[in-house]
Amino acid sequence: MIPAGARSAPPYLTIIVTGRNDDFGGDFNGRFFQALHFNHQQLAAADVTHEFVFVEWRPIDKRPLLASLLADEFAELKSLPLRSYVVDPAYHDALSLNPRLQFQEFIAKNVGLRRARGEFVLTTNTDIYLSRGVIDCLQRRTLEHGVLYRAARHDLRPDRDVSAVDWDLLEDERNCEVVNRIKPPLFTNASGDFLLLDCKTSHRLRGFNEVYRVAKIHIDGNFCLKAHASSVPIVDIGAPVYHVGRGTFHAQKGMYRARPGEAPWGDMRWRKSGVVYDNGDGWGLGLAPERVNDRGTTFLTFDWHAVGPMVDLGRVVSPRQRQERAS
Amino acid sequence: MRRPFRILGLVRGRSYDALEEQQKKAETRAERLAEQLEAAKANSRLWKAKAEEATGALKTAKEDTETAQKQWRHAEKLREEADKRRQLEHERTADLALLRQRLEDSERELIVAREQIMAFEVKLDILEGAANVLDDRTRDVIARRPGSEGGTAV
Repeated sequence: MIPAGARSAPPYLTIIVTGRNDDFGGDFNGRFFQALHFNHQQLAAADVTHEFVFVEWRPIDKRPLLASLLADEFAELKSLPLRSYVVDPAYHDALSLNPRLQFQEFIAKNVGLRRARGEFVLTTNTDIYLSRGVIDCLQRRTLEHGVLYRAARHDLRPDRDVSAVDWDLLEDERNCEVVNRIKPPLFTNASGDFLLLDCKTSHRLRGFNEVYRVAKIHIDGNFCLKAHASSVPIVDIGAPVYHVGRGTFHAQKGMYRARPGEAPWGDMRWRKSGVVYDNGDGWGLGLAPERVNDRGTTFLTFDWHAVGPMVDLGRVVSPRQRQERAS
Repeated sequence: MRRPFRILGLVRGRSYDALEEQQKKAETRAERLAEQLEAAKANSRLWKAKAEEATGALKTAKEDTETAQKQWRHAEKLREEADKRRQLEHERTADLALLRQRLEDSERELIVAREQIMAFEVKLDILEGAANVLDDRTRDVIARRPGSEGGTAV
């Protein structure tokens, strides 16, 4: 594993994933390691220079850091370019606008986005497998700057044996349970699993919505709206990504149908399609002090200066206002 | 000397011949005149027929003219009506364009208003979230104060 701080030429691709050692969705770590291993192998085989940026948000007290477990897991894999960031849990509390949210996934992704070094940045989830078509696109280096690429997520049947994942398993149509189709203009629908954009444009957009922290659901789709309102074209990359099962949200959403305001992801009825945002200068905890330990993991220590105002209503804007400002 | 012959109803032979000649001439003339008269009569009938025909044609022409005039007047009236309708049509087209423009403006304003309402709703969500968090924090701080569990002594 290549530790943090080891400076080399910027890679073509940075892959950002987030998580913590909470066994979210069952065997979270095992699913994470398996997908990371697979994606790294395929990218390396295609000669796509890449790095993984893992952001551990709100680590659980008295449990090993997932960043440490990750470092242990891939200690032998010298070629794996991995940088891990552990965010002081005090940031979660300081930024919270909804105590039901246990994990502010998209602020965590912004932490990675802000620190990405790749020419292109893919924000995804820990258990997503890239397809051969996506790898081909990356290998051909045909991606354009200023374009947000989306990929449809294919959900594999959960009863399939996924102890060893390979192309045969992923590409066999009999294993596919659901195709989460994506449609223009915004190409939302499981967009949190694949948002690929060049780093400069990601920074120009200032990442995901940090102003509206009342829900985490649909923040990914809201990013697509922000990109669209900022005149960033969104296109289907033309190849899928794979996920085993339909996901925790799908499994649990029925429980909160009658009381959507109590859902652990926030109220899914929020007006995500009607507003966008302008994150402040300190987006992605850009002002947080950093400390690197001897294993190369970077810790973002708590500092109130790195936390923006609790309420900053002027940063909630309509897409039309956004377009006018952009033009 | 002539007188006595005349008295007796007698004429000299020479006179008789002359008279007979005159009579023949007169009769020939009369016949010619009668022929001419017949021809004139025939001619007159022809002309009369032609005149009648012409009168009929004139009458027809007059009627046709009247009809044409009527039709012309009708056409004029129709043209005036068409002009009026065309004008009305122009006005309506202009009105329609204006209405369409107003509709587009209204739709745009409606979208802006809807977006503003959504922005307000989002802002209210944020404010409500912040108020709840601050409320929890305040309660937490108060609960941690010494003696706070028993409430305020009265």
